[in-house]
Amino acid sequence: MSSTATMLAPSTRNSAASSSSSGFVPVSRQNTISSTHDGTRSIRASKRYSHTALYLSMSAQDRDLEIEDELARAQKTLRDLKNKISAQSKKNFVLEKDVRYLDSRIALLIQNRMALEEQKDFESHFEESTEVQEGTFPNDQKTQAYGNLFYLLQSEPRHIASLCRCVSMAEIDSLLQTVMFTIYGNQYEGREEHLLLTMFQSVLSAQFEHTPEYSSLLRANTPVSRMMTTYTRRGPGQSYLKVVLAKQINNLIEHKDLNLEINPLKVYEQVIREAEEKHGELPADMPRSVSAEEAAANPEVQQIIEPRLTYLMKIADTFLATIIDNLDETPYGIRWICKQIRSLTRRKYPDAKDHLICTLIGGFFFLRFLNPAIVTPRSYMLIDSVPSEHPRRTLTLVAKMLQNLANKPSYAKEPYMARLSPFVTNNKTRINKFLNDLCEVGDFYESLEMDNYVALSKKDLELNITINEVYGTHALLEKHSAELLQGRDTEHLGILLEELGPAPSQVPRKENRSLDLPLFSRWEGNIDDLSAALDITQEDVLFMEAKSVFVQLLRSFPATSIAARRPLNLRRIGEAATSMKDIQMFRKGMRGQELIKDLEALGVITSEDGFQILREEIEQELQHLGGMKEKAVEEIKKLDEVYKTIRDHNAYLVSQLETYKSYLHNVRSQSEGSKRGVIGQGSSGKEKKNQVLGPYKFTHQQLEKEGVIAKSNVPDNRRANIYFNITSPMPGTFVISLHYKGRNRGLLELDLKLDDLLEMQQNNHDELDLEYVQFNVPKVLALLNKRFARKGKGW
Amino acid sequence: MPMKSYHIVILGAGGVGKSCLTAQFTHNVWIEAYDPTIEDSFKKLTVVDGQSLLLDILDTAGTEQFTSMREMYIKSGQGFLLIYSITSLQSIGDLPALHDQICRIKETTEVPLVLVGNKSDLENERVVSRGRASFLANKWGGVPWYESSAKRRVNVDEIFWDLCRQMMRLERGTEEVEVKKEKKKKHACVIL
Ligand SMILES: Nc1nc2c(ncn2[C@@H]2O[C@H](COP(=O)(O)OP(=O)(O)OP(=O)(O)O)[C@@H](O)[C@H]2O)c(=O)[nH]1
Ligand SMILES: [Mg+2]
Repeated sequence: MSSTATMLAPSTRNSAASSSSSGFVPVSRQNTISSTHDGTRSIRASKRYSHTALYLSMSAQDRDLEIEDELARAQKTLRDLKNKISAQSKKNFVLEKDVRYLDSRIALLIQNRMALEEQKDFESHFEESTEVQEGTFPNDQKTQAYGNLFYLLQSEPRHIASLCRCVSMAEIDSLLQTVMFTIYGNQYEGREEHLLLTMFQSVLSAQFEHTPEYSSLLRANTPVSRMMTTYTRRGPGQSYLKVVLAKQINNLIEHKDLNLEINPLKVYEQVIREAEEKHGELPADMPRSVSAEEAAANPEVQQIIEPRLTYLMKIADTFLATIIDNLDETPYGIRWICKQIRSLTRRKYPDAKDHLICTLIGGFFFLRFLNPAIVTPRSYMLIDSVPSEHPRRTLTLVAKMLQNLANKPSYAKEPYMARLSPFVTNNKTRINKFLNDLCEVGDFYESLEMDNYVALSKKDLELNITINEVYGTHALLEKHSAELLQGRDTEHLGILLEELGPAPSQVPRKENRSLDLPLFSRWEGNIDDLSAALDITQEDVLFMEAKSVFVQLLRSFPATSIAARRPLNLRRIGEAATSMKDIQMFRKGMRGQELIKDLEALGVITSEDGFQILREEIEQELQHLGGMKEKAVEEIKKLDEVYKTIRDHNAYLVSQLETYKSYLHNVRSQSEGSKRGVIGQGSSGKEKKNQVLGPYKFTHQQLEKEGVIAKSNVPDNRRANIYFNITSPMPGTFVISLHYKGRNRGLLELDLKLDDLLEMQQNNHDELDLEYVQFNVPKVLALLNKRFARKGKGW
Repeated sequence: MPMKSYHIVILGAGGVGKSCLTAQFTHNVWIEAYDPTIEDSFKKLTVVDGQSLLLDILDTAGTEQFTSMREMYIKSGQGFLLIYSITSLQSIGDLPALHDQICRIKETTEVPLVLVGNKSDLENERVVSRGRASFLANKWGGVPWYESSAKRRVNVDEIFWDLCRQMMRLERGTEEVEVKKEKKKKHACVIL
């Protein structure tokens, strides 16, 4: 009926039924796609169903019959897409860290204020940004030991959960990266997502235990809040924010000059500033500095603010409406965490009023998830550049309104915010209902159990992980082992750590490798006798296999095949298969016929009614699969978008790193150059210092399209005649000239230094004025980067 | 004497009492309920050592998801209150990085700032020792350090006034020395 991602966001109505009836369709390990039902089936039937699905999933393991229908193709595309998103969002997460670090350091470098030692550290970050090579463990013996350890860590989330509680805030970032993007890195796979959430739960409940007052619950920056930040960076959270916020934020950003400031003091300042500019002096009745009350009482200020209030409330209302309308799009994990908050609060504070609980949920959902994206949309990939002053302020005000709505403070700290209280009053009921609806999702324990059985029975459980992640996790476990091993049921962890011995130190970045670590358990064997493990009968197993065989056969027949005609005739299907040349089809056909016979002998089905029970279930399954195809196609469309965004963001991050890298090369070659001059051992032959690059020609149209030209004062009918030449006379220096077709001399020429561009970017100074046009600084940097890269050196 | 105006930015982890201290200073009220801040700004007229000052006070978000805005705040601020809570080790642990960031952005270690351990009324929940905080204050070049209570209104005005004095001193210093810094030409030499 639906694939994992939708299962992760089940509809609110069938919460209880959905988890018990989830099952699997035949796919390989990476993509165990669970499915939900509409809940109309009886419990028994649905239990039977999930076993069938489980069986289907297991039998698909042998991969003897590659089904090649549209559903299979759609599912494969979806699977690939999900893997790509998972991998890419991890890469971005790592890149973002690098860029953030470099961002914070580049200013120092520009001002030549960086110590030599730090410069080395800085440079090492460039190496870090190169991709990690594939490899194997240096010591093969360790592979098995670590395979055991990570199997245990993945399948028993409580160990990681207690580790999260012991580590310092300095250690937690790398731990969380390993946990969220590696150990539970398959962001669209039910089992890993569920195990991760289980880990969340135990960290959460520990926090509830240790927080005396609920007013400070979930408010301080703790491992839980850090987990939230990291969690929202995964695919589902990102795509949700995009769906819900991107369009509206972009709308707002476009109106650069729309000023919705409602702080009377600020408005007052603006009024007198404008008056001063116009008349050269202050208006008689308006002194320069006034109190907030005086400013608010000023009629002119009031007149400006009044319509802005209405407008702001309208904007906030649209945001709220979109958020509420997209309840079903909210990632399952986030909703489930809300649900935990609700039930933990009820348990710990039985007297807590409903609206108080809503405050906690809202504080979490808005404060930690939505509002940060509204206030800093650039860092959530929702927009391309830092918003300009007015839209930024508007977004902050919207976030503050939503925050007030969620938290409903009794006291307006900034008096002027009280003017927006109608927004809170009018939406109180609406928001409380929404926050409660948010919590209405099913649990997953039952399906998790199933997932774990499936995982256990699989022989190819693997984890793609880097050597340093393995060693880093090992080192943390070792460091905190005393505390970790105090807990219950930790003997296994103790044994494994004991056997592994001391944790190796991190390997140099260049030697780090990513490897596929086979995971398996030291203790539980593979489940050979599935029916015993799952408490189902031999008849059930046979029935499920029969159903699976016939469904596979039907999916493999051409649509026009006589054997596929309705009503289904199982004998005819079997015969048709055995008469085919394809050996796999032949075998399946034989097996199908055998199974019918066996089942009839056991009295489960009878040829008198044409094996009706079995036929009906086969039809149901096919119908279910048909619906799945549409769902899959729909989901592909959505995820394509997400993937594109994530990739764009990656390109941006990479180009940012490239820019820094080039800059560093320049600085270095310059300082080397001057050194050489002194010592007099130049290598002038090798690299011509003053090698001129360009000029390269760019048309107005081209630069406009690429966003390099942010604003143009050139009349439309002249634009076709305008072009630019860019030359780099030496690394780090550029000359941009603007030309009019047919004229010899350029209209203007501009000398540019890379340092200056970087400094402008640092100061969020995005516009470079060329009189006739305005360039966008980050885009100029990207363009120069592309055109003038000097073979892995500076530009 | 013309009125001087200063821009103060209040920084520190979530829930340490930044907003409560601000509310006490600007409006003389005690707020019991916790309402996490996104970004609030206040004006306050005050007199320090006979000089009247107009303070522009920015109360920022301690919630870590908003920390990417700090850079912008620091750029705009002239003086900083760095707040932790004596009941949270975590909260003082966040401060060295913050101090670093301020010095880096301001390109000097001579930034007017005050280190404040809030919630001093909760002595029996204390986890941050006085020694640890004063050690930190010394390490930063002897910045003033106070313990305050927004609830009891202890040391509220004092921390703001101390900061004002530092900003006034700094301003006087620069006026006297009269360093004529040659303005570096930023970019764009346009030849028509
Ligand atoms: N006992 C005591 N409680 C305080 C004190 N100051 C603040 N609190 C309480 O601590 C909680 C948080 O205070 P806020 O001032 O909102 O914290 P904040 O630092 O502004 O937090 P963010 O805005 O999230 O960064 C509130 O519930 C206050 O009542 C104090 O001096 N003593
Ligand atoms: Mg606050």
